[in-house]
This record gives sequence, structure tokens and C-alpha cells, in this order.
Amino acid sequence: MPDLLLYLHAIVATGISAVVVTLAIGKKRTPGGTSRNQAACILATAVGLMVGYGVLEFQPNWPPTNGLDRFLTILVPAVIVIEILAIVARVPSWFAWLLRIVLGAISGRVLLHGSVYLNPDMGEWTAIQAWAVLALSGVLLIAEWLLLSELARRSEGRSITLTLSFATLAAGIAIMLAGYIKGGAATLPLATACIATTIGSCFRAGSTRMQPIIGIAIIGLFGLTGIGRFFGQLSMVDALTVVLAPLLCWVTEIRPLLRPLHGRPTWVIGLLRLVFVGIPLVVILIMAKQTFDREMAPLLGML
Amino acid sequence: MRRLSSAFVLTVMAGMTLGLAENSAVAADDYAFDMVHSSVSFKARHLDISWIHGRFNEADGKFSLDRENPEKSTFELTIKADSIDTNNKARDEHLRQPDYFDTKQFPTIEFKSTSTKAIDGGYEVTGDFTMHGKTKKVTFKLMGGKELEFRGTKRVGFSTELSLKRSDFDFDKKNIGLIGDAAIILIDCEGVRK
Repeated sequence: MPDLLLYLHAIVATGISAVVVTLAIGKKRTPGGTSRNQAACILATAVGLMVGYGVLEFQPNWPPTNGLDRFLTILVPAVIVIEILAIVARVPSWFAWLLRIVLGAISGRVLLHGSVYLNPDMGEWTAIQAWAVLALSGVLLIAEWLLLSELARRSEGRSITLTLSFATLAAGIAIMLAGYIKGGAATLPLATACIATTIGSCFRAGSTRMQPIIGIAIIGLFGLTGIGRFFGQLSMVDALTVVLAPLLCWVTEIRPLLRPLHGRPTWVIGLLRLVFVGIPLVVILIMAKQTFDREMAPLLGML
Repeated sequence: MRRLSSAFVLTVMAGMTLGLAENSAVAADDYAFDMVHSSVSFKARHLDISWIHGRFNEADGKFSLDRENPEKSTFELTIKADSIDTNNKARDEHLRQPDYFDTKQFPTIEFKSTSTKAIDGGYEVTGDFTMHGKTKKVTFKLMGGKELEFRGTKRVGFSTELSLKRSDFDFDKKNIGLIGDAAIILIDCEGVRK
């Protein structure tokens, strides 16, 4: 059964630790954003994740034995290292993107390692189907990473990290309602850390593209949704909706809307993005709740 | 000369026949599970007030019985975890997820014996039980072993009951509570001699 009080503790602990680290390490308002502020965001997110998963008593195995272990011990550290390299080590932008693309391309393979999906003898997928799914999921992840990063370059990036975080939260709730409690709970520290870091960054820098947090949030969203889809009971429609919903942020850039939004404060544009992305997420959650009431709720009294 | 040759050949042939017979007498008998007449079921406590019953509908196994040297007998069982059936579709799907059996990651539950000892009424079997990615040594009493020939086929049956704790096999400890940690596994198998 979900332990709502424990989840609340995890959310509060994650949020406070992420904000504190962002404020402690980041420099006060400087126009254009600095490497230090971006590094502070990465560190704050990492600390928030460790605190949050610690409160939830997540103890991944090493070597990892299941999808969630592989997500927590391989994918999350990998994206944090890549984003740190991009900022602190000042690697060329093309090299940082090469690393991101490689990570996006192998994420599916890492998550499904050792599962029935990659073993044709188990009858779940043929070898061709497995390659097709891995290729498609990699392409979707990389494309969304590129598109949202480009959007953050063109305009303010905080609303993008917020929409990614809310999509992750929606995925977590849907995964829980479908019956995989721990998988759904895993989204809480990730989404909270990204949200808290985003909020903290408002007090530490001028406009910031939030590129590092976009990377962590996208890997988190795709990773955890993939776990919920392929190991839990999250439907394909729900999974695709939550991972692709943040792309609706681009709606504010389409021509018919550009003129009315021109000159508006960034918070208005950010709010519009949250609304556009929020609509399909709310629909998903309503449907997930209906399915839960029909199929799982009676079980709670019987199980 | 011809009589000597014939006697020699007969002697050699007799010796070979005796040798083969001797080997047959000590060879183990191999049996394959007849799943139509076998079952793997379990029960676990619910809220510590009642029992939930379930079964695995797909399993396969084999065993080799050496009645002359029981310690050479071997037993193997492979259960398809996805075939779990508690007579409730929603619960079965819930049990297949990572909070419980994680059947997409760990599709089979397996047992392979490592040592066997004859006891009164059956065998005491020790072996490696692998479930949820974790392997543990288990020992249980396998009662039965009576062989019967039915319509030209030799059959032998065994029964056993063993208790296993989910926490010993890396199941999520947070999901232990509503359903008890220990589950009682009941295996009834009938083997058909190959």
C-alpha cells in the first residue's frame, strides 16, 4: 500500500535540500546565468535525489537486478556526470551533445537488460521487434531532448523543467494507480528535486536555460515511464502521452500565438505552457483513477 | 578349430550381455513431469487472519531416480512465474509487477537438487531454489516414490510442502505486511518414465 506520509516526508526533504544547495552554492542574481549557477543546479538536484531516495529507503542492488536498480545506479548518475562535464569541464558543446545522444540511444537497452523483452526465446518480442522498440524509444528521447533544449535556448527554460517534472509526477501517479507502487514512488524525488532546483534558481541567477535540469528531467521521465510501461501495467497510450506531453511547450512558439504573446512577461508564457502540457496529463490521471476504481480498488479489500 | 572359434564368440557375447544387464540394473530411471497430473500451488496469509490460495499453471520438470543409490537421484523443476493464478485477474496482474514477482525481469522460478538422501517414505532433497533473481539452498521432504505401470507407462508420484519467505528472495519488504512474508508451497508431481 502507498505510504502517503512517507511520500510527503520524501517530497519535503528533497525540496528543502535541493533549494538549500541551490541557494548556498549559486551566485546571486547575475545576468545571463553562470556556469557556477548551472553547476549548483546539478548538485542541488543530485543531493535532492539522494535525500529523497534515502527517505523512501530505496536501496538499489549492485550489480543492478531490475529496471529500477538500473535506472538509479546507471542512467541517473550517467546523465548527472554528462551535465557536470558539459558545465564544469567546459567540454565543447558538440561533444556534450554526443554524450547525451549516446545516453539517449542506450537508455532503453540498459533499462530492459536481462528482461524477457530482449530474449527472443521467451516469446515476448522477436529480435527485430526488440531492435525496433529500442531504436524508436531512443529516437523519441533524443528528439525531445533536442527540441526542448532548443526551446530553452530561444526562450526562458524554467517552464520547460517544470512541465517535465509535472509529466514525471503524472507518470508516477499513473504507474502507482496501475499497481506498481515503488515505481510510482520513484518519480517523487526526481520531480521534486527538479522543481525545487528550478524554483531555487529564480533567486540565484538571471535567465538560465536550465539545460542540465532538462537533461536530468528527460532521462528521469523516459526512464521511469519506461519502467512503468514494460515492467508495470502502464498502458502504451498513457506512457506515450506523458513522455510526449512536454513537447506541447512548443505551442507558444507557433506563429498564430507568437504575436499575442510578444512582449508578455515570461511568466505568462510559462503559465500557458503549463496549461497546454497539463491538459493531457490531467486526462491521463482521470482515466487512470477510473481504471483503478474499477479494477484495483476492490482488490485492496480482497488482497 | 571351428568349435573353438564358435565357443570364443559365444563367450564374448555372453559376457557383453551380462555386462549390459549389470549396467541396466544400476542405471537411474528418468522421469518427466506429467503436468496434467501435477500441480504447483501456494498459500499465504492475508492480514494474518485468512489464507489466499493460488497456483502456477505452467511448470515443467524432470527427475531421475536411482533406487540402488538414492543419493544419485536428482530433481529439477521450472515454473513460469507469469502463469500465477489466484482466481482474480486484477490480483494476478498486480502480482506479476515488480512489487512482487517482477515476471518480466524474472520469468522463471527454478529448483535444481544438489543432494538427495533416502528417508522413510521418500527422499530428503536439498537444492538451489531460484526466485526473483535470488538463489537459496532449501531442503524439503519429498514423500512418495511408488511406481505404478498404467497402460504400458511407468508412473511415479511425489508430494512435498515447503515454506519460503519472500524477504529471503529480495521481494520488496514494504509489501510484506498485508500479505504474510512466508508462503507455503505445495508441489504434487507425477512423473512419466521416459
